[in-house]
Amino acid sequence: MNLKFIIHDLKASIRTWLRSKGTVFWTLLFPVLLIMIFGAIFSGVDDTSYELHVQDLDESTWSGSYLDMLRNISILEVKTIETTEDIPSYMKDQDLAGVLVIPDTFGETLQQSFIDQSSTVNVTFYHDPSKQTSSSILQNIISSSLYEFNMGITGGNRVIGMDQISNLGDEFEYIDFFIPGIIGLTIMTSCVYGSIERNTKYRKDGILRKLLTMPVSRTEWILSKMLFMLFLSFISTIVIISVGIVVWDMHVALDLILFVIGLVISASFLFSGLGMIIGRFVKEEETADMAGGAITFPMMFLAGTFFPLEQMPEYLRIIAQILPLYYVNEGFRNAMIYTDIDKTIYFSSFVFVFALIFFVIGVFLTRWKED
Amino acid sequence: MIEHNFKCPSCGKIVSYSGNPGGHITVYCPYCGSKGRVTLPAITQKNGFAIEVSHLKKVYGDLIAVNDISFNVKKGEVFAFLGPNGAGKTTTVEMIESIRQPTAGTIKILGQDIKTQFNNIKNNIGILPQEFHSFDLLTVRETLEYFAKLYKTYADVDEIMDALDLRPHEKHLYKNLSGGLKQRVGVAMSLVNDPDIVFLDEPTTGLDPKARREVWMVIKELKKKGKTVFLTTHYMEEAEFLADHICILHEGKIIAKGSLEHLIQTYGKDSVLNIKNCNTKEAIQSLRLHGFNATSQGNGNIAIRIEYKDRVLDILSHLRHECIEYESIDIRRSNLEEVFLSLTGARLSEDSP
Repeated sequence: MNLKFIIHDLKASIRTWLRSKGTVFWTLLFPVLLIMIFGAIFSGVDDTSYELHVQDLDESTWSGSYLDMLRNISILEVKTIETTEDIPSYMKDQDLAGVLVIPDTFGETLQQSFIDQSSTVNVTFYHDPSKQTSSSILQNIISSSLYEFNMGITGGNRVIGMDQISNLGDEFEYIDFFIPGIIGLTIMTSCVYGSIERNTKYRKDGILRKLLTMPVSRTEWILSKMLFMLFLSFISTIVIISVGIVVWDMHVALDLILFVIGLVISASFLFSGLGMIIGRFVKEEETADMAGGAITFPMMFLAGTFFPLEQMPEYLRIIAQILPLYYVNEGFRNAMIYTDIDKTIYFSSFVFVFALIFFVIGVFLTRWKED
Repeated sequence: MIEHNFKCPSCGKIVSYSGNPGGHITVYCPYCGSKGRVTLPAITQKNGFAIEVSHLKKVYGDLIAVNDISFNVKKGEVFAFLGPNGAGKTTTVEMIESIRQPTAGTIKILGQDIKTQFNNIKNNIGILPQEFHSFDLLTVRETLEYFAKLYKTYADVDEIMDALDLRPHEKHLYKNLSGGLKQRVGVAMSLVNDPDIVFLDEPTTGLDPKARREVWMVIKELKKKGKTVFLTTHYMEEAEFLADHICILHEGKIIAKGSLEHLIQTYGKDSVLNIKNCNTKEAIQSLRLHGFNATSQGNGNIAIRIEYKDRVLDILSHLRHECIEYESIDIRRSNLEEVFLSLTGARLSEDSP
């Protein structure tokens, strides 16, 4: 292995990259712009999920009345759950945005409030911050219904209030969902287009033919280019996270930082491999760029980069699950935002396997020799 | 890899070591333990041929791109591979450069078979691929240093820039260079390892006449430095101006090869001496009487076919002797275009300069 060549080539690649204002824009500033624009647009936007699971620990006439009231809200589908269920694990299992728990003192406190007006009781709303838009809708509906219920029973005295508990133990915003997606998207575009350029433009320009006659092996060349792609991926990730923290007060957890690093590396190999495959089959530079766009552009929208998958129709959710970017995005979200080790391992494993398959096929298909 | 014997300067024992030809290696004497750095001899072979191509063939499906061609290139000569677009020139040169796999045939560079020894040969060759375009955003110096450092030992980049007059442009980005300068940088890149053989594939295609001349001068300089230059071109003037040896390729086959003189004498038409503004009747009569093939061209002009060079002097002496006055003379020499025309019935190139 000619380490001198690899370092030498890496330096030249970085120098060239820094001089290309367009590439620097697409790699660093474009994702930052997306964060600014989408962050402003989608923070606090409504969505269309209205399913509410309720655990009634009281099972009194009062709690029944409140449940009936909820059932009468046409946009809400109320489902009751067993009193023995552990809510956080139930939410995880059922993949729910929110669950309402009516405490066992609900009816008793309401009765008491007719004598002692200072009596209060709180229902508890468990919500999943990763489904921020759905859970905020549910929270608004519950708040309104409680206001109406208080009005109806006490004539305006606030007897029933609401506590909120995140099933992940923290509060998250849309930006926390969005930024990991932008990291995945940026790694995907820079690696896919970088590989396409090396396999089509360099071929057309005769650089690969020239290298073939020089004492450099294909492995050394691919390795040095992969190091460069990793450099770009890490720089982009750091810039995106920094902007997210400084501008949007993004919540980043460092507990699973090794998984985040592993995901950056795996995703870089995955999408570079994808670029190599495209570059092999579509040899014209312009056509290859279009082919790259045809693959990355739909993936960008279908893999839950900008919007939670729950907002999409069922068939699109199924499609998302065959897209590598979906696993990259979810891997990043679970590793750096929700710190859910099980889901992080689950999604990271998919990314790793995708990376292995795509990169090995990409390297196998990359040819310097002409037919 | 080659094996070579050294005499240890400390103990005088003979020690065998192997390495790449022309490479530098550190050797340890197993007898006395002393250590030293030595240079292995570069590849040499005895018959004086830099390149030997034998029965080379390349087939793509039903298309025979290169059809059983054989030729040798002598060391230190400029060898032009001439032919129209699509004749198989680039396919051939890329097979010699080991970029394409031949269907059949053998190729030797400096006596070594490229099929098995190409890694050894890499240090001895430099190439400028067809339509080559380097990294846009590296400067001329950075480009040359990038390619130079891919070799374990490489030539001085400053010297190469001086030789190709690139010093004034060393800090310019490649993308901002003119077409002629880009090609000059391309040639410079092919010299970074100080190769014995330089392959230049259509080095002047698309260049304006001035830029083309600049590249020609560079190639002349390469020859002066003793490099073997393998040039592919579809410009007959380029081959005429530069080549010691010309090989004409047509539809994948070699249809003629040899020096320019040889090709013109063998396949070209006779040269023609034109005499302008003279007494046509008197002059033609006199010239024909002395065996010269003179014909009237009208307007007082005469054309005389020249079978061999000495006849020109004979004609001029005769005109002087007979006191035949004229305004001017010129000689139209047969060229490669006519050679190609007589061999194939077609013009060599539509866009010859």
